[in-house]
Amino acid sequence: MTTAAVGNRAVATAGPAADDAEATATRERPRNRENGPGWAFVAPLVVFFALFLVWPLIHGLYLSFTDQSMTGAGGAFVGLANYAEAFADAEMWRALWNTVWFTLLSTVPLVLIALVMALLVEAGLPGKWLWRLSFFMPFLLASTVVSLIWVWIFNPQLGLVNSVLQSFGLAAVPWLQDPTVSMISIVIATVWWTVGFNFLLYLAAIQNIPEQQYEAASIDGAGRWRKLWSVTLPQLAPTTMLIVILQILASLKVFDQIYQMMNQLVTPATQSVVVYIFDTGFTGYRFGYASAISYIFFAIVLIISLVQFRTNARRSA
Amino acid sequence: MASKTNPTTTNARPTAFSRRQLLVGGAAALGGAMLAPALTGCSTGAAASGEAQLSFWHPLTGGDGITMSDLVTEANQANETFNAEQTVLTWGPPYYTKLAMASVGGRAPDVAVMHAARLPGYAPGGLLDPWDTDLLAEFGVTEEDFAPRIWEKGVYEGDVYSIALDAHPFILMYNTDIAEAAGVLGSNGQLVETTSPEDFLEVARAMTDAAPAHGLSYGYLNDGAQMWRLWYTFYRQMGAEFELPVGGKAKFDEEAGVAAFDYIRQLLDNEIATSTNDYATAVAEFSSGDSGMFLTGPWELPTMQNAELPVDAMPIPTLFGEPAAYADSHAFVLPHQAFPDENKRRETYRLVANILQNSIKWAGAGHIPAYEPVTEDPAYGELLPQAHYVQASEIVNYDPPAWFTGSGSDFQNLFGQHMQPVLLAGADPAAGLRDFKAALDVLLSKPNPV
Repeated sequence: MTTAAVGNRAVATAGPAADDAEATATRERPRNRENGPGWAFVAPLVVFFALFLVWPLIHGLYLSFTDQSMTGAGGAFVGLANYAEAFADAEMWRALWNTVWFTLLSTVPLVLIALVMALLVEAGLPGKWLWRLSFFMPFLLASTVVSLIWVWIFNPQLGLVNSVLQSFGLAAVPWLQDPTVSMISIVIATVWWTVGFNFLLYLAAIQNIPEQQYEAASIDGAGRWRKLWSVTLPQLAPTTMLIVILQILASLKVFDQIYQMMNQLVTPATQSVVVYIFDTGFTGYRFGYASAISYIFFAIVLIISLVQFRTNARRSA
Repeated sequence: MASKTNPTTTNARPTAFSRRQLLVGGAAALGGAMLAPALTGCSTGAAASGEAQLSFWHPLTGGDGITMSDLVTEANQANETFNAEQTVLTWGPPYYTKLAMASVGGRAPDVAVMHAARLPGYAPGGLLDPWDTDLLAEFGVTEEDFAPRIWEKGVYEGDVYSIALDAHPFILMYNTDIAEAAGVLGSNGQLVETTSPEDFLEVARAMTDAAPAHGLSYGYLNDGAQMWRLWYTFYRQMGAEFELPVGGKAKFDEEAGVAAFDYIRQLLDNEIATSTNDYATAVAEFSSGDSGMFLTGPWELPTMQNAELPVDAMPIPTLFGEPAAYADSHAFVLPHQAFPDENKRRETYRLVANILQNSIKWAGAGHIPAYEPVTEDPAYGELLPQAHYVQASEIVNYDPPAWFTGSGSDFQNLFGQHMQPVLLAGADPAAGLRDFKAALDVLLSKPNPV
């Protein structure tokens, strides 16, 4: 969207000039003169960016080669010892797997349900604004609020889910405590919470599909389903790619809802890698080791992003 | 969409302000924002000419937080020489992270409350400054004023690092109406004494018959602390030891540990007590009068009194021979300061002594004051049900010392992680304990980060 806006701006300013070369020549000098104040405008962002993103990134990398403790102790250079320990650390691998598992479990419904909701709303449900509002509203809540709500919904004794189950004569389930279902419970809460954002992206994309294409399809004798399969879904492909990428990156970072819904209890079934990093660095004081795990995780996310980037580039080429 | 709106926005020139005006204005606003804290800093500095400004951190956010706030306000009013300002932070691992980081930075608050069992994770690393016992004595606080177990918990390598405000052992609360209906009240109107596991089961069953829902409430789901508190209480009652030697292996009595679990599971039979309660649900069950007894800490007393529940309390009965109860203490510590101000330090001592000496109010929040002149005062004897469980402070058992143990620590979390399946799904307790031991051995083998 930003590139589109920049492109339009260029058209808007340079467009009226008859001769392109002349326009650039006359604009050259004032642009240079404006660079000073320009930097002043950008400076706050650059300073913050450097202080709170670039510097921590570099410092974290440095820490990962030391045995720095949060309490100020340690700090000696230990070479690759932290990385060696991490690669042999079964808990880290389990946490990584949990993270991947959460990503798989959450991304599929977050894309599919969002699509179905957007299609339903666009298909002309009565009270469209109400549907739009209620599908999107949970996304506006803070993670703490979402966690509180779902902890009560999943409460084994008093929770909504179990009372419904019991009214049908089914057994109550300890949703957040039983290791076989606890991750799924967290995924359900996450889907409810964040599906609205993907829904909105789909809705915007559907509304952008030119009406002529549907008209043309009608003339060719296409019915509703044919139009869905042959016009709507292909037109939504770029949006789907975008949503999948954003969703995978968001899901890999999962921390808040797990930490809060599990009442800070780390369980083998729900410990994501960010939970493990937090625990190692802040409760366990081991900054150096936690930094090393962060960088391993960083590398994995980078690889996933690059692969996605590559496949996308190939597809659009 | 973008193509329609963009040209108009780019064509619109800022006519109201020139660029220069905007820059100057922005710089002024920025400068102002930077100056503002300095100015407010000045004004508090000016006010401090007469009284020392003390910063006080604590994690007391429940009913006890209100009591603490009253105590601080009263201390401020009674003393012209200082003005303490509280910063209340959420209890749990984040609190301890913040406290440790403030100390590392050397610009920590003047005084803070932490759990005494967390001391081994703080004192050795120089995160705390030791108390000067002579100066404390000047303000009327000496070692003799505390039960030996509680005082000693604050000592590390001969220096005193924490002064306990209270002890909060695990206790047994009960609903006197239900107990009376169940016929388990003694002639003194208190719950009959039980001295064996079978005795207590019998009382619990009688309570179950008389109570609307359950005889006993106990919440533990996703709550390592709650699991540890009850298990450690029974485990220590069996006379078993739990040691965590740094650089060595965790040592504990597996047989006693399994026996303690077996007994807890007998209680969680879904008749006496439900096996699927989390802590909040257990509080709700007992406070609404649906159950006869409640295994909890004294901090929950105000909740029950506010619910106008006919409640009494007692130390956890000695079922396995030796009187013991899990406990921790809220304790005052001096987070390390790189450049302590002598006058402020002195006033900090005065503040702490003042709060300790008025801690009968603290007993109102349920906790047992550690400062014995308060609990020995006849006024305390009239405070009920606090006076009925004050003996619990003599049987306190803190977490085994290690840098990773204590309230809100990884240790209790790990215990919960390995033991929840035992209580919830009937997993083998011996296997659970062995997994727990393996996790502890890993922690013990790692370099001590403190």
